[in-house]
Amino acid sequence: MRLAAFLLLWLPLAVAAADIRIGVLAWQGEESAAAEWQPLLASLQGSLPGHRLQPSYLDLGGMENAVAAGRVDFVVTNPGNYVALEALYGVTRIATQIIEAGQDSAHTVGSAVIVRDDRHALKRLEDLKGQRLAAVSPDAFGGYQVVWAELKRHGVDPEDGDITPVFTGFPMTRVIEALENGSADAGAIRSCLLERLEREGRVPAGRYRVLSPQGAERPCKSSSPVYPGWAFAAAPKTSPGLAREVLIALLGLPAERTGQTWGVPADYHPVHGMLRELQITPYDFLREHRLEAQIRRYWPLAAALAMLLACWLAYTLRVEVLVQRRTRELSAALAARDQLAESIQAHRQQMEHLSRLSILGELSGTLAHELNQPLATISNYALGLARRLDNGTLSSAATAQAAAEIASESERAAGILAGIRAFARKRTRIRETVDLPTLIDGAVRLFRGMIHDAPQVDVIDRLPADRRAVEVDPLQIQQVLLNLLKNGLDAQRSARRSGHPMTITVEIAADDGARISVRDHGTGMSGEEQSRLFEPFFTTKADGMGLGLSISRSIAEAHGGTLDALAPDAGPGLVLRLQIPLAATAPETDEPAQ
Amino acid sequence: MNQPNSHQAVVHVVDDEAPFRRSLLFLLETAGWQAIGHESAEAFLAAPPAFPDAGACLVLDIRMPRISGLELQRRLNAAGSPFPIVFMTGHGDVELAVQAMKAGAVDFLQKPFKDQLFLDTVERTVALSQTRHEAETRRQQARESLARLSPREAEVARWLALGLSNKEIARELAISDNTVHIHRQHVMEKTGIASAAELARLILRADPAGLD
Repeated sequence: MRLAAFLLLWLPLAVAAADIRIGVLAWQGEESAAAEWQPLLASLQGSLPGHRLQPSYLDLGGMENAVAAGRVDFVVTNPGNYVALEALYGVTRIATQIIEAGQDSAHTVGSAVIVRDDRHALKRLEDLKGQRLAAVSPDAFGGYQVVWAELKRHGVDPEDGDITPVFTGFPMTRVIEALENGSADAGAIRSCLLERLEREGRVPAGRYRVLSPQGAERPCKSSSPVYPGWAFAAAPKTSPGLAREVLIALLGLPAERTGQTWGVPADYHPVHGMLRELQITPYDFLREHRLEAQIRRYWPLAAALAMLLACWLAYTLRVEVLVQRRTRELSAALAARDQLAESIQAHRQQMEHLSRLSILGELSGTLAHELNQPLATISNYALGLARRLDNGTLSSAATAQAAAEIASESERAAGILAGIRAFARKRTRIRETVDLPTLIDGAVRLFRGMIHDAPQVDVIDRLPADRRAVEVDPLQIQQVLLNLLKNGLDAQRSARRSGHPMTITVEIAADDGARISVRDHGTGMSGEEQSRLFEPFFTTKADGMGLGLSISRSIAEAHGGTLDALAPDAGPGLVLRLQIPLAATAPETDEPAQ
Repeated sequence: MNQPNSHQAVVHVVDDEAPFRRSLLFLLETAGWQAIGHESAEAFLAAPPAFPDAGACLVLDIRMPRISGLELQRRLNAAGSPFPIVFMTGHGDVELAVQAMKAGAVDFLQKPFKDQLFLDTVERTVALSQTRHEAETRRQQARESLARLSPREAEVARWLALGLSNKEIARELAISDNTVHIHRQHVMEKTGIASAAELARLILRADPAGLD
């Protein structure tokens, strides 16, 4: 039911379709086209009494739109446009125009490139390089495109600027006018036009010459292959019945009434071929393909490559800049380092000196006591001698005893003074081969002499008899040992174990050096404190400067040794371990080995 | 020569510093003292010397290893030693010196000291030790005298010393005058004194609080 109603609704439209809409290509304007095609359409209307012809004259763009929108049933157009419409919209030719008598439908449109006969230098199409070529319009099929294709085949490409086109517009006789007035060197016209004009006497015969003529067997000279003429074609939706009806009417038209005849539809493949060569509609996609399509297709890659290139460039530049900057920085850093090393060396000496002085300062009271002892002794003997002399009780034995004591005590005092002076003095680097246990005993004696309530210091000597010598600055090593003992004592005082004996163990270390371990029973140290122990200015003492151990370590290192702290195996306190290499030779005081 | 008892008095020096110790002995001998050196407190304690009647003096170094001067002083005090002590101190030991003085030291000398100061101090200390020794001897004798009395005689002696008459004592003790008289006779005989005033001195000498 619904289907029937639907069909009924469509019936008036089907009746109206009796109108035949014909699109005619009007490339010279609607009026001139109407005038040109009026005779044909009138004759056709006469042959199709059941239909009403509705012609519309369209330019190339209008034609394509009309076909695309289905506004025409038939089109009449030039071979180029037909081929485009065929390829794009599937229009089907039903007849091909034949212009001149004797032509066949497949060989209607050719072009002749003419020059004035007096241009002797121009004989072939190749000779046109650098010349001006007149033509009616770039869109004209027979008037330009055919010539363009042929020129290209001869290696002359207008698109490459090999010739300069001069477009004159219609009618085509303007091309000849351009040649006459010298605004062009050659002209492209439809073949047979020249012959017709000569025949009609409008152009003197022999005044113009056709370049590279071909098709001698044909009635007209042509510089190009000859292509099929205009096509009468049915739109894709046009019914085959209507198409057949129109075709029959078309073929039956008398030539004398319309000035043209229509033949069987020709093969338009040569046109396709030519348009493809030119890469113009409908083959303009080839052009696209060649350029834009390539771009469209490869732009990500190209972009990536460009990006990569840009990155590489940027990277290279950056690297170059960095290299230069780093080089500058490096040389600046090197200079700064040298300067720093010098100032560190100077500071180190200064600090060592300060450290010695500060130790001296701390111990000065006890040093005074140390010195007072021999002085008081000497004084006692001297005064005693004087009194005995006064008393008359002076015996020679007493004199001898007093004199001997005075002498030895004077030496002792002098020794103490010399030691203090040497200790306080800035020293240049010296190395003496000394017996290590003797050196340690000296340090212990100094320590116990300087500190009035110094605890017992037990020295455990585990060095083998033949490996006891070290090559050191004895005073510096004693300074280190004094410092370690003093620190140990301070730690024991903090822990309220100041009377606990301390231990110095001297033995051969794993690396064959001498290891001197100073063990106290003080507060000990946390791991964090232990790791910072040797930093300059790190101290756990309220009044300490934090220089002693850092200087001690630098002294140890200057001797090719090490100084580190570790927790004792058992019990409270800390072990400070000084390792220094043993001397290659025994001390000079020793007997040379046999 | 100005030391009449010098041949009997003894000065002991304890100092671990041998040369200095010997120099002090030399000085003391110069002044006529009999001087004996000890190298450590232990050595002194190991062989404690007898105290001579003529007096003595102990010169101690305050700072010595193991047993310090102060420690030796403490031990001697604990043992009731009669030796008066003069300390020798080093620099900056004021605190120790104060401690020493509080514990009964006679004096302290800060090293280095003048020989004359040292000898004067020693002499003064020896003299002091003599005085102390004599007082001690007298007290000892007084105690021995009083110890010979029977408890009743001691009681009678106390009242006599306080100045009571025989009658008053008889009333106080509820005994007869005659008995008091006999006790009094015994007291005088046993202590060898003649007056009540002398008796009072004897009792006070034996015990300063004896008449309270």
